[in-house]
Amino acid sequence: MINFVQFTFTRAFLAIVTLLIVCFIVFSLMELVPGTCAERYLAFKNTQGSQITYEDIEAEKIRLGLDKPFLYRYGKWISDIVINQDFGDSCILRMNINELLSGRFTLSLTICLVALIFSYLIAIPVGIISATTKYASLDNTLKFVSYLGIALPNFLVALCIMLFMTIYYGDTMTGLFSQEYENEPWSSAKLMDFLGRAWLPIFVLGWNATAFALQTVRALMLDENDKLYVMAARARGVSGMSLLWRYPAKHSLGPVINSIGFDLNRIFSALPIVALILILTEAGALLIEALARSNDQQLAGAIIFLLTATIVFVNFVTDIILAIMDPRIRKGVMGGG
Amino acid sequence: MSHLLEVKNLDVKFDTDEGRITAVENISLSLDQGKVLGIVGESGSGKSVTAKAIMQLNPGNTNYNDDAEIILDNENVLRFTSKDDLKKIRGGKVSMIFQEPMASFAPAIKIGAQMVEQLLIHKDINKNEAKEISINMLQRVGIADAEKRFNQYAFELSGGMRQRAMIAMALSTMPKLLLADEPTTALDVTIQAQVINLIKDIIQEYQMGVIFITHDLGVIAQIADDVAVMYLGSVVEKGPVNKILKNPKHPYTKGLLEALPDVNNLDAPLRPIPGNIPSPLDRPSACVFRTRCPNPCDNCREGKTEMGLMEVEPGHWVDQCCINCG
Repeated sequence: MINFVQFTFTRAFLAIVTLLIVCFIVFSLMELVPGTCAERYLAFKNTQGSQITYEDIEAEKIRLGLDKPFLYRYGKWISDIVINQDFGDSCILRMNINELLSGRFTLSLTICLVALIFSYLIAIPVGIISATTKYASLDNTLKFVSYLGIALPNFLVALCIMLFMTIYYGDTMTGLFSQEYENEPWSSAKLMDFLGRAWLPIFVLGWNATAFALQTVRALMLDENDKLYVMAARARGVSGMSLLWRYPAKHSLGPVINSIGFDLNRIFSALPIVALILILTEAGALLIEALARSNDQQLAGAIIFLLTATIVFVNFVTDIILAIMDPRIRKGVMGGG
Repeated sequence: MSHLLEVKNLDVKFDTDEGRITAVENISLSLDQGKVLGIVGESGSGKSVTAKAIMQLNPGNTNYNDDAEIILDNENVLRFTSKDDLKKIRGGKVSMIFQEPMASFAPAIKIGAQMVEQLLIHKDINKNEAKEISINMLQRVGIADAEKRFNQYAFELSGGMRQRAMIAMALSTMPKLLLADEPTTALDVTIQAQVINLIKDIIQEYQMGVIFITHDLGVIAQIADDVAVMYLGSVVEKGPVNKILKNPKHPYTKGLLEALPDVNNLDAPLRPIPGNIPSPLDRPSACVFRTRCPNPCDNCREGKTEMGLMEVEPGHWVDQCCINCG
C-alpha cells in the first residue's frame, strides 16, 4: 500500500514535470515566430488606417512586458497560469483569454470526452466479440463498418449528415445551439437543445475513434487468444464467459487503456475540422484560427496548455488504472511490493 | 482389465486455406493406470495434436474421422460435446502440463487464484477448502513458502518453481490421466532431473497414467514404461521402453538413437537422420518415411506399400514396411 501511494506520487510528479516541459517547448516555439505581439498588434492597427511610429512599438512592448528576458517571461506566464489561473490577454483580440475560453474549452473537452467514452464503450465489447465470434459474417460486417469509419474523412461524414438533415428536417444542424437558445443562460431546455445538436459532432468524431479503438481491441484479443495460457486455462476446464473475460480480455485491455490519452489527442485534433463545418463555437476552431490566421501566440499557448494538461492528466489516470490492473507493471515499477 | 486410455484408429486433419492437412493418421495407443507412455518424435510429428485430441483442445478447424475412438474410463471422449462432459476431460479426469510454464500461467492472475478457480470448477468445495488443497499441493511438489507463492504471480517465480507450480495445479483435481507436453524441454538440466523425479514420485503416489511427450530419448529412458515413436503423424514403432531403446527395428528409431552423442566416444561425429521432415502439405502417400528411408525397396519407393504395425516380439510393434523391405 505504501508502495502504491509512492507510485502515485511519483507518477503525479512526473506528470507535472512533463506538463512544464511541454509548456516550455510551446512557449519557446511561440518565441520563434518572427515579430512580437506588440509589432503584430500595431501592424494590425496600421492596416486599419492608424499611423504607427517606432516609439509606439517600443511603448507597446514595455506595456506588454516584452522587453524582459525570455526566461523571466516564461516564468511569469507559467506562474500566472498556475497561481492565478490567469492566461493573460489575447494578443490580437485584446480580450482576457479566460473570458474568451470560458465555456468553449469545456465544450470542446466535453464533446471529445463523450466521443472517447462512447467509442470505448462500444469498441471494447464489440472488439472482443468480433475477435472471438464463430460467425464470420458478423465479424466481417463489423470490420466493414469500422474500416468505413477509418476511411471516411470526418468532414465528409459531417457534410453528408448535414445534407440529409437539411433535406428531411429542414435544419442544417450547424452550431451547438438553436438560434433561440444561442445567448440564453443554461437551462434544462437549453441543455436538451444542446444534446439534440451535440450528438452530430460526437457521432462523427466517435465513429472514427470507435473504428480505431475497435481495430486495436480486436487485434489485441486475437493476439492474446492464441497465447498458451488461454489454452492452459481451457485445459483446466475454464470455459465460456469466465474464460473470455478473465483470460484474453483482461490481458488485452492494458494496451487499450494505454491508448486512451493518445486517442483523446487524436479526437481533439480532428475536432476543429468538424467544428468548422458544423460552425461550432468551441476551442479547437479557435486554436486553428489563433495558430494559422491571426498568429495569436497567447491564445494558442493557452489552448495548447489546457489540452496538454488534460492529456497529461488522462495519462496519469490511465497509468494508475494500469498499475491496479496489471501486477507486472505495479510490481515492476514499484520494486517488487 | 481394460485400459485407462485407449486411442483407436485416430486421424486428425486440419482444414486450412491450403487444403486439408493430415496431422495424425491412423494411430492406436493404450495406457494403463500407473504407467508412463512416452511419445517421441520431431516437431510436427503429431505428438501434441494427439494429446490435445484427448482433451478436445485442438482448434475449430480440426476434423476427426468417424471411426476414431479415444476411450477414457470406458467413455469415448471424442463424442463429448456438453459442457459437463468436456469439464471431465479438461482438468477433471485429465490434466495437462505444458512446455512453457511461464506462458501457461495467465500473467496477471495470481497462481493461487488460478488453482482455486480450477478446483471450484471440478470439486464441490468452497473457496477456503480450495485454498487449503492448493497450498498443500504446492508444498507436496516441493515449493517452500507455499502460502507466499500462492499469492504471487508467475513472473515472480523461478523457472523450475513455475513448472512445479504447474504440476501442482495439474494434480490438484486428482486426475486419472496426466498429459505432459514436453514439460522439461524449457528447463535447464539440473531442474529437468528434479522435475522428472517429481513426476515419477507422483505417479507412484497417485497411481495415475501419464503420457509424456518429448523429443528427448534420454528423458524417455528415465521415465517411460512404454514408448511410441511418431513420424509425420504416424506411429512407426511402439513397445516397452527397454525393447525399443535396446533393439530398435525401425530405421527412424535407429536414426533418433544414433543422433544422440555417444558418451564413450565424444569425438565421433553425430549422425543426423538424412533429409528433412516433409511439409504436412505434401505428406508422402503409403509409407510416410519412404522419402528418408536409408534402404527402401522398390515397392516402397514407388509408394505401393501400406503402412501398418506388426508385432515383431511380444509387445513390440513396428511398421511393416521396413520389415517387408528388409
